[in-house]
Amino acid sequence: MTARTWALLVMLLGVAVVVGLAGGSVPLSPLDVWRALTGNGAGDTASAIVQGLRLPRVVLGAVVGAGLAASGTALQATLRNPLAEPYLLGVSGGAAVGAVLAVVVGVSMPSLVPLAAFAGAALAVLLVLVVARASGAYADPRVLLMAGVVVGAFCNAAIMVALATAPEESVRGALWWMMGSVGDAQWSTVRSVSGYVVAGIALLAWWGRDIDVLALGEDAAASLGLDVERVTRRIYLTASLLAAATVAGAGLIGFVGLIVPAIARALGARTTRETVAASALAGAALVVGADLVARTVVRPAELPLGAVTAIIGVPFFLWRLRGAAR
Amino acid sequence: MVGCAGAGSVSSRRIVAAAGVVAALLGCGAPARDAGTATIAPFITVDDFGDTLRLAAPATRVVSLNPNTTELVFALGYGDRLVGRTSWDLYPAAARAVPSVGDGMQPNVEAVLGQRPELVLLYASASNRAAVQQLRAAGVATLTLRTDHVADLARIAPVIAAALGDSTRGALATDTVVAVLDSLRNLPRAIEPRRVFWHIWDAPLMTIGRGSYLSELIDIAGAENVFDDIAAPSPQVSLEEVARRDPYAILAGPNSAATIRAHPGWQAVRAVREGRVFVVDTTLVGRPGVRMGEAARHLRALILGDSAR
Repeated sequence: MTARTWALLVMLLGVAVVVGLAGGSVPLSPLDVWRALTGNGAGDTASAIVQGLRLPRVVLGAVVGAGLAASGTALQATLRNPLAEPYLLGVSGGAAVGAVLAVVVGVSMPSLVPLAAFAGAALAVLLVLVVARASGAYADPRVLLMAGVVVGAFCNAAIMVALATAPEESVRGALWWMMGSVGDAQWSTVRSVSGYVVAGIALLAWWGRDIDVLALGEDAAASLGLDVERVTRRIYLTASLLAAATVAGAGLIGFVGLIVPAIARALGARTTRETVAASALAGAALVVGADLVARTVVRPAELPLGAVTAIIGVPFFLWRLRGAAR
Repeated sequence: MVGCAGAGSVSSRRIVAAAGVVAALLGCGAPARDAGTATIAPFITVDDFGDTLRLAAPATRVVSLNPNTTELVFALGYGDRLVGRTSWDLYPAAARAVPSVGDGMQPNVEAVLGQRPELVLLYASASNRAAVQQLRAAGVATLTLRTDHVADLARIAPVIAAALGDSTRGALATDTVVAVLDSLRNLPRAIEPRRVFWHIWDAPLMTIGRGSYLSELIDIAGAENVFDDIAAPSPQVSLEEVARRDPYAILAGPNSAATIRAHPGWQAVRAVREGRVFVVDTTLVGRPGVRMGEAARHLRALILGDSAR
């Protein structure tokens, strides 16, 4: 990737953040935003809105977007499948089961829902590995993919059972949670999710060379001396837990892990390290932008963020598919 | 919170006393009343689903699948006719002694039939249509009523009273409530009434819109719903929009109020920063039933800080 492309990506993220802070129910100019952030000259309500509501949600959106996109990049390269994304591999299903159970069982403390989601996702990821091991082929991407799909189907069944027997109000809460949102962002959430995301992205970039080798194919990688099975398992686990942390922070936000790596490659990213970094930037900008759309188009209501990313993502994906078929 | 619980119990004692007077008038004194209007048989009416209810004689075994109608049946002095209620019907205290048949929406039809009712009272929600058809196919009379607005009480009370034998009890039971509501409506109003935000659900954040029962109740209490420009009964809104509209106070149930006070994002709303998150007795104000007068007083005391008689 050229220096100009990098600068473009950084600028794109910067613009998304500024517009994200300025746009909303109370439209503010960038100057108002600056005043509200520095705390001089802005009205009480304006600075309360920018500091208390918009800043945490913009930062959480950026962190979640970066995490999902980096996770998708690593999984697509490792499993050598452009369709591989964290949600396809059990993460979303497991997280949803955890969150829905927490909501339905009536956990009165909202802060426990993200923890339950993370626990559910982690369990599902481990289950996928167990299923893959039982079939005797960790390193075979097809086995991991199939195990992920099967675990996901099982999770769906568990969700249906939980929802069918739950009171109506908790069903609504659980469904809303599953649709994804950064509207409830708090600094405590931002901090804990950021920790996972920064560590996860750093690890994936650290293992970037291994992933590059793995992308050559199983046999080629093995003949170059790579412990294919161990590396695959390690990256799958890291990328999935990274995605699980984002799910715990913001619910299910689809298509980011799927389309952003493709965008990064289209922009000229070649090595895994490059692609992970470029994806993180683009993913952050995409989710911040999508959140702005989610909270402005149907004012005073808000759209679920997962729906907005899907609406943006599906046409893009179809366009890519057309290109690939030619 | 302690303060408003106290206020609630004082006014509830008063209403219970009033209900007792009504029951005494109705129950024991009934034989002295004009026998011509006391029992109308056969009774025929068309309910809010458009179904025709025909009763050759007043129903003696009744299942009420709506907390509102359960309260009403007790207020009419017919509590002893109830052989089933939902798990949500906890008022009056005597209602707890009636066997519960589970949920009132999409009810368990077998459990309802197990109580061998002659008449089943349901809430007019689309999700109850299947149950109504099944009950009617089983030969049980149903009366499906909409109870969404303040005016619905005076509309449905005479119908239920008539189905149970004495239509005049309906007006008697509702007159007290209507009188309280009217007296509150007629109190002098501020030129710019206090605007309040009603928190009904957290994720997604939901409030009440124009024409909803709670919005009507706020109006009767002498205040104004800050989202009265939205026609949907329970619209979803963003927290930022709440901050922008800058309501005087936030009304919420006990758990929600605690969440609002603890959540840093809510600090963007001035009413929260300045400590005006008022805890509403949700079991009292939740339904447009016979306790509406008490509910409107409760709201007025919360929002305006006075307890008008």
